[in-house]
Amino acid sequence: MNRLLPWVLWLWICAVIVGAFLEPTRPGQGFIGETGRILYFHVPMAWAAFVAFVAAGVWSLRYLFGGRQTRHDRAAAVAVELGLLFCVLATLSGAIWARVQWGAFWNWDPRQIWITVALLFYGAYLALRGAVEDGETRARLAAAYAVLGLVVAPFLFFVLPRLAAFSLHPEPVLNAEGKIDMEPAMLLVLVAGAAGFTAVFFWMHRLQCRIVAWREGA
Amino acid sequence: MDGGILWLAVANVVVWTGIFLYLLRLGRKLEEKEKQR
Repeated sequence: MNRLLPWVLWLWICAVIVGAFLEPTRPGQGFIGETGRILYFHVPMAWAAFVAFVAAGVWSLRYLFGGRQTRHDRAAAVAVELGLLFCVLATLSGAIWARVQWGAFWNWDPRQIWITVALLFYGAYLALRGAVEDGETRARLAAAYAVLGLVVAPFLFFVLPRLAAFSLHPEPVLNAEGKIDMEPAMLLVLVAGAAGFTAVFFWMHRLQCRIVAWREGA
Repeated sequence: MDGGILWLAVANVVVWTGIFLYLLRLGRKLEEKEKQR
Protein backbone atom coordinates (compact mmCIF):
# COMPACT_ATOMS: atom_id res chain seq x y z
CA MET A 1 0.00 0.00 0.00
CA ASN A 2 2.83 2.36 0.96
CA ARG A 3 4.46 1.76 -2.42
CA LEU A 4 1.25 2.58 -4.22
CA LEU A 5 0.48 5.87 -2.46
CA PRO A 6 3.16 8.01 -4.18
CA TRP A 7 1.86 6.89 -7.57
CA VAL A 8 -1.71 7.70 -6.59
CA LEU A 9 -0.46 11.12 -5.55
CA TRP A 10 1.41 11.50 -8.85
CA LEU A 11 -1.77 10.70 -10.78
CA TRP A 12 -3.68 13.14 -8.57
CA ILE A 13 -1.21 15.98 -9.26
CA CYS A 14 -1.23 15.19 -12.99
CA ALA A 15 -5.04 15.40 -12.93
CA VAL A 16 -4.78 18.77 -11.17
CA ILE A 17 -2.34 20.01 -13.84
CA VAL A 18 -4.60 18.83 -16.65
CA GLY A 19 -7.60 20.41 -14.90
CA ALA A 20 -5.71 23.66 -14.32
CA PHE A 21 -4.81 23.99 -17.98
CA LEU A 22 -8.07 22.61 -19.41
CA GLU A 23 -10.30 24.81 -17.26
CA PRO A 24 -11.38 27.69 -19.51
CA THR A 25 -10.42 31.19 -18.37
CA ARG A 26 -13.48 33.34 -18.30
CA PRO A 27 -13.70 36.98 -19.22
CA GLY A 28 -14.72 39.27 -16.39
CA GLN A 29 -12.55 37.62 -13.76
CA GLY A 30 -10.02 40.40 -14.03
CA PHE A 31 -7.08 38.23 -15.10
CA ILE A 32 -4.88 39.19 -18.03
CA GLY A 33 -4.98 36.40 -20.63
CA GLU A 34 -4.15 33.00 -19.18
CA THR A 35 -2.38 34.33 -16.09
CA GLY A 36 -5.28 33.35 -13.84
CA ARG A 37 -4.19 29.71 -14.13
CA ILE A 38 -1.41 30.41 -11.61
CA LEU A 39 -4.23 30.41 -9.04
CA TYR A 40 -4.31 26.58 -9.16
CA PHE A 41 -0.70 26.38 -7.98
CA HIS A 42 -0.14 29.61 -6.03
CA VAL A 43 -3.10 29.17 -3.63
CA PRO A 44 -2.38 25.46 -2.89
CA MET A 45 1.27 26.38 -2.14
CA ALA A 46 0.16 29.04 0.34
CA TRP A 47 -2.32 26.54 1.80
CA ALA A 48 0.41 23.88 2.19
CA ALA A 49 2.57 26.47 3.99
CA PHE A 50 -0.29 27.20 6.39
CA VAL A 51 -0.88 23.47 7.01
CA ALA A 52 2.85 23.05 7.67
CA PHE A 53 2.90 25.86 10.24
CA VAL A 54 -0.18 24.50 12.00
CA ALA A 55 1.34 20.99 11.95
CA ALA A 56 4.51 22.44 13.52
CA GLY A 57 2.39 23.92 16.31
CA VAL A 58 0.58 20.62 16.88
CA TRP A 59 3.85 18.64 17.01
CA SER A 60 5.22 21.25 19.40
CA LEU A 61 2.20 20.80 21.68
CA ARG A 62 2.83 17.07 21.56
CA TYR A 63 6.46 17.71 22.49
CA LEU A 64 5.56 19.95 25.42
CA PHE A 65 2.74 17.81 26.80
CA GLY A 66 3.55 14.36 25.42
CA GLY A 67 6.67 13.39 27.33
CA ARG A 68 9.24 15.67 25.62
CA GLN A 69 10.02 13.20 22.85
CA THR A 70 12.78 14.26 20.44
CA ARG A 71 10.86 12.95 17.42
CA HIS A 72 8.08 15.48 18.06
CA ASP A 73 10.59 18.35 18.27
CA ARG A 74 12.22 17.10 15.07
CA ALA A 75 8.85 16.85 13.32
CA ALA A 76 7.99 20.44 14.30
CA ALA A 77 11.32 21.81 13.06
CA VAL A 78 11.02 19.96 9.74
CA ALA A 79 7.43 21.19 9.33
CA VAL A 80 8.58 24.81 9.75
CA GLU A 81 11.40 24.32 7.22
CA LEU A 82 9.01 22.87 4.65
CA GLY A 83 6.40 25.50 5.48
CA LEU A 84 8.96 28.18 4.71
CA LEU A 85 9.76 26.47 1.41
CA PHE A 86 6.09 26.45 0.38
CA CYS A 87 5.69 30.02 1.66
CA VAL A 88 8.64 31.23 -0.45
CA LEU A 89 7.24 29.42 -3.51
CA ALA A 90 3.82 31.01 -2.95
CA THR A 91 5.42 34.45 -2.55
CA LEU A 92 7.54 34.05 -5.69
CA SER A 93 4.70 32.71 -7.83
CA GLY A 94 2.50 35.54 -6.57
CA ALA A 95 5.20 38.13 -7.37
CA ILE A 96 5.61 36.78 -10.91
CA TRP A 97 1.85 36.99 -11.42
CA ALA A 98 1.80 40.50 -9.88
CA ARG A 99 4.46 41.63 -12.39
CA VAL A 100 2.15 40.67 -15.26
CA GLN A 101 -1.15 41.69 -13.67
CA TRP A 102 -0.21 44.79 -11.66
CA GLY A 103 3.01 45.85 -13.42
CA ALA A 104 5.44 45.29 -10.52
CA PHE A 105 6.71 42.32 -8.54
CA TRP A 106 6.04 44.10 -5.24
CA ASN A 107 2.99 46.32 -4.68
CA TRP A 108 2.63 46.57 -0.89
CA ASP A 109 -0.60 44.64 -1.21
CA PRO A 110 -1.88 43.45 2.21
CA ARG A 111 -1.46 39.79 1.26
CA GLN A 112 2.12 40.39 0.09
CA ILE A 113 2.89 42.16 3.35
CA TRP A 114 1.33 39.54 5.66
CA ILE A 115 2.93 36.59 3.88
CA THR A 116 6.28 38.37 4.29
CA VAL A 117 5.54 38.79 8.00
CA ALA A 118 4.77 35.05 8.12
CA LEU A 119 8.13 34.34 6.45
CA LEU A 120 9.90 36.53 9.02
CA PHE A 121 7.98 34.99 11.93
CA TYR A 122 8.92 31.44 10.98
CA GLY A 123 12.40 32.49 9.86
CA ALA A 124 12.82 33.69 13.45
CA TYR A 125 11.83 30.19 14.63
CA LEU A 126 14.82 28.75 12.78
CA ALA A 127 17.06 31.57 14.06
CA LEU A 128 15.90 30.75 17.59
CA ARG A 129 16.78 27.10 17.10
CA GLY A 130 20.17 28.07 15.74
CA ALA A 131 20.89 30.40 18.66
CA VAL A 132 20.40 27.93 21.54
CA GLU A 133 23.07 25.30 22.03
CA ASP A 134 21.53 23.10 24.68
CA GLY A 135 19.27 20.59 22.90
CA GLU A 136 16.55 20.39 25.55
CA THR A 137 16.33 24.15 26.06
CA ARG A 138 16.26 24.67 22.29
CA ALA A 139 13.45 22.16 21.85
CA ARG A 140 11.41 23.69 24.70
CA LEU A 141 11.81 27.30 23.52
CA ALA A 142 11.17 26.40 19.88
CA ALA A 143 8.07 24.42 20.85
CA ALA A 144 6.67 27.38 22.82
CA TYR A 145 7.34 29.66 19.84
CA ALA A 146 5.65 27.26 17.39
CA VAL A 147 2.62 27.00 19.71
CA LEU A 148 2.42 30.80 19.62
CA GLY A 149 2.43 30.37 15.83
CA LEU A 150 -0.85 28.43 16.13
CA VAL A 151 -2.46 31.75 17.08
CA VAL A 152 -0.38 33.99 14.79
CA ALA A 153 -0.55 31.96 11.53
CA PRO A 154 -4.38 32.01 11.10
CA PHE A 155 -4.29 35.78 11.61
CA LEU A 156 -1.51 36.29 9.05
CA PHE A 157 -3.03 34.00 6.43
CA PHE A 158 -6.76 34.57 6.83
CA VAL A 159 -7.78 37.39 9.16
CA LEU A 160 -5.45 40.35 8.56
CA PRO A 161 -5.57 40.28 4.71
CA ARG A 162 -9.38 40.42 4.94
CA LEU A 163 -9.36 43.37 7.31
CA ALA A 164 -7.56 45.64 4.84
CA ALA A 165 -9.76 48.41 3.45
CA PHE A 166 -8.19 48.09 0.00
CA SER A 167 -6.40 45.24 -1.75
CA LEU A 168 -5.28 44.69 -5.31
CA HIS A 169 -5.48 40.98 -4.67
CA PRO A 170 -8.39 39.04 -6.22
CA GLU A 171 -11.19 38.14 -3.84
CA PRO A 172 -10.15 35.16 -1.68
CA VAL A 173 -11.84 31.80 -2.24
CA LEU A 174 -13.73 32.26 1.01
CA ASN A 175 -14.57 35.95 0.90
CA ALA A 176 -14.95 38.45 3.75
CA GLU A 177 -18.68 37.60 3.98
CA GLY A 178 -17.75 33.97 4.54
CA LYS A 179 -19.11 32.89 1.13
CA ILE A 180 -17.45 30.96 -1.67
CA ASP A 181 -17.81 32.94 -4.87
CA MET A 182 -16.20 30.78 -7.56
CA GLU A 183 -17.24 28.64 -10.51
CA PRO A 184 -17.70 25.00 -9.31
CA ALA A 185 -15.19 23.66 -11.88
CA MET A 186 -12.53 26.16 -10.78
CA LEU A 187 -13.22 25.38 -7.14
CA LEU A 188 -12.89 21.65 -7.79
CA VAL A 189 -9.44 22.03 -9.39
CA LEU A 190 -8.35 24.42 -6.65
CA VAL A 191 -9.46 22.16 -3.80
CA ALA A 192 -7.90 19.12 -5.51
CA GLY A 193 -4.67 21.12 -5.89
CA ALA A 194 -4.71 22.10 -2.22
CA ALA A 195 -5.28 18.46 -1.20
CA GLY A 196 -2.45 17.32 -3.51
CA PHE A 197 0.03 19.89 -2.23
CA THR A 198 -0.89 19.02 1.36
CA ALA A 199 -0.18 15.34 0.63
CA VAL A 200 3.15 16.27 -1.00
CA PHE A 201 4.03 18.26 2.13
CA PHE A 202 3.35 15.28 4.42
CA TRP A 203 5.33 12.96 2.15
CA MET A 204 8.32 15.34 2.08
CA HIS A 205 7.96 15.83 5.83
CA ARG A 206 8.15 12.11 6.52
CA LEU A 207 11.23 11.74 4.32
CA GLN A 208 13.02 14.72 5.86
CA CYS A 209 12.24 13.53 9.42
CA ARG A 210 13.78 10.15 8.56
CA ILE A 211 16.85 11.86 7.09
CA VAL A 212 17.35 14.02 10.20
CA ALA A 213 16.78 11.02 12.50
CA TRP A 214 19.30 8.98 10.50
CA ARG A 215 21.86 11.80 10.69
CA GLU A 216 21.35 12.10 14.45
CA GLY A 217 21.70 8.34 14.78
CA ALA A 218 18.23 7.97 16.29
CA MET B 1 -6.36 23.70 -25.30
CA ASP B 2 -4.14 25.71 -27.65
CA GLY B 3 -0.49 24.92 -28.39
CA GLY B 4 1.14 27.19 -25.80
CA ILE B 5 -1.07 26.03 -22.96
CA LEU B 6 -0.57 22.40 -23.94
CA TRP B 7 3.21 22.81 -23.80
CA LEU B 8 2.94 24.46 -20.40
CA ALA B 9 0.82 21.57 -19.13
CA VAL B 10 3.33 19.04 -20.49
CA ALA B 11 6.24 20.95 -18.92
CA ASN B 12 4.40 20.93 -15.58
CA VAL B 13 3.79 17.17 -15.77
CA VAL B 14 7.47 16.58 -16.64
CA VAL B 15 8.68 18.73 -13.72
CA TRP B 16 6.32 17.03 -11.27
CA THR B 17 7.30 13.58 -12.53
CA GLY B 18 10.94 14.53 -11.91
CA ILE B 19 10.13 15.63 -8.35
CA PHE B 20 8.19 12.42 -7.68
CA LEU B 21 10.93 10.18 -9.04
CA TYR B 22 13.50 12.04 -6.94
CA LEU B 23 11.41 11.63 -3.78
CA LEU B 24 10.81 7.95 -4.51
CA ARG B 25 14.53 7.37 -5.02
CA LEU B 26 15.28 9.27 -1.81
CA GLY B 27 12.80 7.05 0.07
CA ARG B 28 14.39 3.88 -1.29
CA LYS B 29 17.92 5.06 -0.43
CA LEU B 30 16.80 5.95 3.08
CA GLU B 31 15.26 2.50 3.51
CA GLU B 32 18.56 0.88 2.51
CA LYS B 33 20.55 3.07 4.91
CA GLU B 34 18.11 2.37 7.74
CA LYS B 35 18.37 -1.38 7.09
CA GLN B 36 22.19 -1.20 7.07
CA ARG B 37 22.07 0.43 10.49
